[in-house]
This record gives sequence, C-alpha cells and structure tokens, in this order.
Amino acid sequence: MTEDSLVDPLVTETAHRLLSEICDHESIQAAEATGQAPEIWNAFAETGFPWISIDEDAGGSGGSLLDALEVLRLVGYHAAPIPAAETGILGGWLLANSSQELPDGITTVVPNGRENVTGSVSGDEVTVTGRALRVPWARVAERIVVPLSIEDQTVIASIDSAQCAIEPMTNMAGEPRDTVTFENVQVPLAIAAPGIDLEAFRFRGALSRAALMAGAIEKMSQLTVSYTNDRVQFGRPVAKFQAVQQHLVWGAQDAALARMVAETAAREAARGTAQFEIAAAKLVANQAAARATKACHQAHGAMGMTQEYPLHHLSRRLWSWRKEYGSDAEWSSWLGKIAVAQGADQLYPLVTGGSAVLN
Amino acid sequence: MRFTPTELTEAELRLQQEVREFLAEELPPGSHEPCLGMAARKDKDFSLKMAERGWVGMALPKEWGGSDRTAVDRFIVVEEMLRWGAPVGHHWVADRQTGNVILKFGTEEQRERFLPSICRGELGFSIGMSEPDSGSDLASVSTKAERASDGWIINGTKIWTSGAHENDWFVCLLRTSPMEDGNKHAGLSQLLIDLKSPGLEISPIPFLDGSHHFNEVTFNEVFVPDTNVVGDLGMGWHQNTTEMAYERGGPDRWLSPFSTVEQLLREAHGTELENAVTELFGELIARWWGIRNLSLSVARLIDTGEAPSVESSLVKEMGTRYEQEVVEKLVHLIDLEYSPDSESLFERLLSQCVVTFPGNTIRGGTIEILRSVASKGLKGLPA
Ligand SMILES: Cc1cc2nc3c(=O)[nH]c(=O)nc-3n(C[C@H](O)[C@H](O)[C@H](O)COP(=O)(O)OP(=O)(O)OC[C@H]3O[C@@H](n4cnc5c(N)ncnc54)[C@H](O)[C@@H]3O)c2cc1C
Repeated sequence: MTEDSLVDPLVTETAHRLLSEICDHESIQAAEATGQAPEIWNAFAETGFPWISIDEDAGGSGGSLLDALEVLRLVGYHAAPIPAAETGILGGWLLANSSQELPDGITTVVPNGRENVTGSVSGDEVTVTGRALRVPWARVAERIVVPLSIEDQTVIASIDSAQCAIEPMTNMAGEPRDTVTFENVQVPLAIAAPGIDLEAFRFRGALSRAALMAGAIEKMSQLTVSYTNDRVQFGRPVAKFQAVQQHLVWGAQDAALARMVAETAAREAARGTAQFEIAAAKLVANQAAARATKACHQAHGAMGMTQEYPLHHLSRRLWSWRKEYGSDAEWSSWLGKIAVAQGADQLYPLVTGGSAVLN
Repeated sequence: MRFTPTELTEAELRLQQEVREFLAEELPPGSHEPCLGMAARKDKDFSLKMAERGWVGMALPKEWGGSDRTAVDRFIVVEEMLRWGAPVGHHWVADRQTGNVILKFGTEEQRERFLPSICRGELGFSIGMSEPDSGSDLASVSTKAERASDGWIINGTKIWTSGAHENDWFVCLLRTSPMEDGNKHAGLSQLLIDLKSPGLEISPIPFLDGSHHFNEVTFNEVFVPDTNVVGDLGMGWHQNTTEMAYERGGPDRWLSPFSTVEQLLREAHGTELENAVTELFGELIARWWGIRNLSLSVARLIDTGEAPSVESSLVKEMGTRYEQEVVEKLVHLIDLEYSPDSESLFERLLSQCVVTFPGNTIRGGTIEILRSVASKGLKGLPA
C-alpha cells in the first residue's frame, strides 16, 4: 500500500465520533418528519467535512478523495440525514471544476437520470429550463448545480435555489428527493474542466452511493449481531440458533464485500477514472444491499418492522440508494459490454487488473 | 474482523505475468480440456514443471526445498492455475496443506524426508480425516492406533479419501488413546501413512457420474513406525484444526466455474448468444472482482503473521455458494440441452459443473459447519 491509498486515520476518528454524537435515533426520525436536519448539518459542516477533497484555493477543505469517501462511508454508517455527497464530492466537485464559487451552505445537484432539463448558451450566459426529478435536499439547498451537455461542452450551471420552484418529494427512507422546476433561469456560463462531463459525473455519483451503502450495510450487520445476542427465546439468545447464525454470517459477508469494493473503487478513483471499479462496486453494493437487508430483517423478527427500532434507518436508505446513480441493470450491462469486448482470453486479466487493462 | 484492501506489488505483478506466460506456453487455450478448480486432473509431469519454476510448496523455506515465498505469491500462482483449468491435482493437497503441517508440527527428520520431494512436485498426498461414522463431527473418529514396539498398529476405516488410489501418502487423524470423560478432542494424533502399506486396502467409491474420485481406505493391522507421528501425541485435534485453516478462503473456493464461464464467452463470440449473456457477464465479473479482493486480503493478512480464521471461513462459505450460484445462472440463461459428451466444450464443462458442484459446499467442512465457526467470531455494535 502506498501513501496515496491510505485514509487519514484522524478523519475516520473525528467523523465517527462527531456523527455518533449528533445522529441519534430521535434526530434521524425528526429529520424524516420535517425534511431537514439543520442541527446535524451545522455541526457536520462546521468541521469542514462536506468539502474534503476540494482544494482550499477553490474554497474547499483540502484532503484526499479517499478521505472524503471515508466520511461518506461513516455518513452511511450513521444514517446521517444530510446531503454530504451532494455538497461535496458531487456538487462541490462540479463547481470547483468549473471555477465557480462554493457556497457556505448546502449545495445539491441534479442527478442526470430521468430529468428533462435543457440549457441554451447565449454570450456569457446560460439559460436553464425544465423539470428535474429526485433532487436530493433541494428544499434546504442554497445552490442547485445542473450539469448540462451543450454542443460538445459540459456546462455547469450554478443556480440560486430561490430562482426555482421546489416541490417536496421523498425517497423510501423519507429523505428529500424534490422536484425542481427551472423556468428560463439565467446564470453566468461556466465550462467544466477537461475530463469532467456527464459520464464522469454519473460514475462519481455511483462512487458516492457505494461508499454510503458500505457504511449502512456494516452498521446493519452489527446491529443484527447485537440484537440477536440480546433477544432471548426458548431460553437462549436467538443468535445461538443455527438458522439465525446463517442470517448473521450472510449479513457480515455482504458488509465485508460492500466495504471491500467501495474502498477498492475509492483507491482507484483517487488515481484515475476507475470506471471498471466504480461500476463493479456499485453493482456489487446494490446486490449486497438486497441480500443483507433481507437477512438482517429476518433475524430481527417483528422488531425490525417498527419505526421505534433503528434498523429501518439503514434498510430503507439501502433500498433507495440501490436505485440511485445506476441500478443493477445499468451497471451489469455496462460491465458486460466491457467483458464481451475484452473477449474470453482477457476475461480473467480484467477481473484482476480492472481499469488498468482497459486503458 | 477486518478485510483491508490490498493490491499486488510490482514484483507480484511480474510473478502473475510469468505464470500467465508459462500457462500460455504449456497449455495454450483450446489445446486442453480445462479442469474445474481443485478437483483437477493429476498430471505429474505438469506438477514437475511447475515445481521446476519453484511454484510447488513455494511458501516453504528454502532450506527444505521451498522458495520462501509469501502467501500472496502462492495465491497468485494458484489463482492463475485454477482460472486456466490447469491439471494441478497431483500436488494440490501437499502444496495447500500437508507441506505446512509437516513444516509446522513435523520432526526435523520428517521435514527432510518429505518437504524437498513435495517441493519437487513428486509426492502426492491425500487427506485422511473422514470416517463412515465421523463426518462433520470429526472429533468422533474411531480408527485406532495401538502401541506396538517402535510404532503403532492401525485398525479402522477412512472414507471419501480423494485420490488415495493415485497418491503416495496421507496424513490421518487417528485415536491414539481411548476417549476419557467424554473429552473427544483429547487422545487424537496425526500420523503420516504410506498408501502402499501392507494391510492397507483402497477400494473405489464411484463418484455420482461414475468417475473414480474418492475411496474407502481400510486398515487391517497396518504398522506405522513412531517416526511417522506428526507433532505431539494427543495434539492431533489442535493440529488438524490448524490444517483446516490452510484449506479455507483461497481461490479454490470461488474460481471453480471460471473456465466454464470463459469458454461460454469464447463460444458465444460473434453469435446471438453474445447479447443474451452480456448482462450476466457484467454481474459475474463484478462479483468475482469483489470476492477476489476479499480473498487476497486474507492472504495478505496471513503474511503479517495473523491467523484469520473467521475471515477465511466467511470467504469459503460465500465463495463456494457463489460457485453454485454462477452455475445456476448459466443454467437459467442457456437454452440448450447440454450433456457430458456434447461437441461443445462449454456444454461439457457446464454438465460437469451441474453434476459435481453440489460437493463444493460439502468438502473440507460443510457450509453449515463453517457458519457455526464464523458466527462465533462476529462482533456486534461497538460498545
Ligand atoms: C468431493 C468431496 C471430496 C472429499 N474428499 C475428502 C478427502 O479427501 N478426505 C476426507 O477426509 N474427507 C473428504 N471428504 C469428506 C468431507 O470432509 C465430508 O463430507 C464433510 O466433512 C461432511 O461430512 P459428511 O459427508 O459425513 O456429512 P454429515 O456430517 O453427515 O452431514 C450431513 C448434513 O448434516 C449437516 N450437519 C451435520 N452436523 C451439523 C451440525 N452440527 N450443525 C448443522 N448441520 C450439521 C451437514 O452440514 C450436512 O448438510 C470429501 C467430500 C466431498 C464431497
């Protein structure tokens, strides 16, 4: 392991400590009810965590992409109801890479999924029109970033949220995923740096979700081991039953697998485009989430089906994140095309070498 | 439990390249019928050639004929061999576990007698653990070794002994003193036994497809000299548990169907089938990449001197189930009536996977037993 592939242990420790303090069951539940969590966000933002990996010159907190993804993993672990990815490695990244100012508050970003937003350039301005679906936390964002592909160029529109109409919507975990309507909003034209385009953004979105999911699966697995060791039936902890041990082992495997792929993709993304690793990490995380939520819910019995017990903070997020920035179908078909193009002889070298054999 | 991501160093990548070149030359694709993982054909010439490169017993010390290489180096060689479907059967058990057991617990004389010839790829070993009445409950073995002058007289039966009809030796777990106070873990010892010993009889137990894979080995007053006792008398259970740890978590637990999948891609190339299998290939390579990274991190952990038994049990349980899942996905997707005598190599391999892979989650300890082992090591929420 080289220096560039290591997370700063201080980042892990401080983020973990802070999030443990500010994200308890009640505050996550409250955020779901109100659609915002200003106290959690303010405490988190005060440390500069959201802007890690963005240069200090560009208004960020410095540090590496690995550190930023480690923080996201912990955000997932604690089910923190905050737009950490959107403000930082997604929206903040797009702004910094188009030489635009980072706001002090929350930034969000229009995911390039099913939305229908267009831009037209005239002189040094771009006019944005359309309706964007499932924009995370738009209702509390100061800025809404819209990446647009206009005539071979990638334009990054940074829009004041006050200039948009925002309809509150949610995902399955009750996190804001709002509908945002832009009616001929004019902003200064900003062109993205070379290499920053809609495709790169899609991969970065997937990378962010893989990190969040790895954290959430790990916490879910630990919660399940703890619960089943406390819960007594037939005179002994249910964790002593082999049928339950199977759920525990399967949950732990998927936690390990999801974390391994997220961290490996993070390491490669800190060095290059890492398309193979990111695609594979998101796909593996999606499938791990499906299996692990099933195993962990089953081991909890009815308790896991209540609002009072925290399992759902994790499982509902995982069901939502699984579908964000690339479903199983999208990434398996992307990877499958690569595999088929490589051909039989190069299939195993692809498994061992990843992106390195594609360049 | 922690699986730390790792990656191959420059030197390790060179070894990988070297192994690939060796295989491309020795077994050019299309020139051989690939084997399915560790249930590989025995081909002593091939084992000797690998040994010439220093790739058999490679993690054993140089003074005993090994190459002093790391667990990761061995991982690299094994993974390339298995994905190629190479005939590694002859040296497989000796390389994976018996060499380590002799090095760790054996006497100086035993090391000298066995390790150099293991490393030369000459000696083939079997595993003598299971008995008719002792499968998962291995500590209940009842094959007895009784004291004689200068040695032991063995009576009893071992079963499911893979390759006993072709190998030279096996390490047997035997009862060297009667069970006392119900403590079945005491009184067991490991003995090195020559498969050609007088009184030792090997009878085939035909495998479900009719092939000759495993055997019943009966002992009728078989004499084994004292010099063949491995380690300390009565420490057999502990030694055997250590031996099992060498079996787990490596590429043999997740790569068995790879050559079948690779062959599908070869045969589908340029046909309509190629489109139909695209998404499946995406899914398969992603998961293989993930599982490989877990398994590699276990090898790296072993090189730091740790004994990651929970981690390797988790990988083996997951990997062997994955092997079966891969086969099920192929079966689901492929609209063909494949058979062991199809003209297509892919179809032949797939038939073989379907018929033999149920054993993957049984051999070397069933996944049910692995789950019990692994779940004891799982940690809940940090206090
Ligand atoms: C292809 C192949 C090659 C083999 N080669 C060798 C060899 O070379 N040498 C050798 O010594 N052995 C060999 N074996 C034997 C192997 O080690 C045993 O099959 C294995 O340990 C299981 O024992 P068993 O078959 O007696 O099953 P049993 O122990 O009878 O188990 C039957 C079923 O009950 C379950 N079960 C048993 N106990 C428990 C429990 N406590 N909790 C939950 N479930 C339980 C098992 O998981 C299994 O599903 C081989 C097996 C196979 C399939």
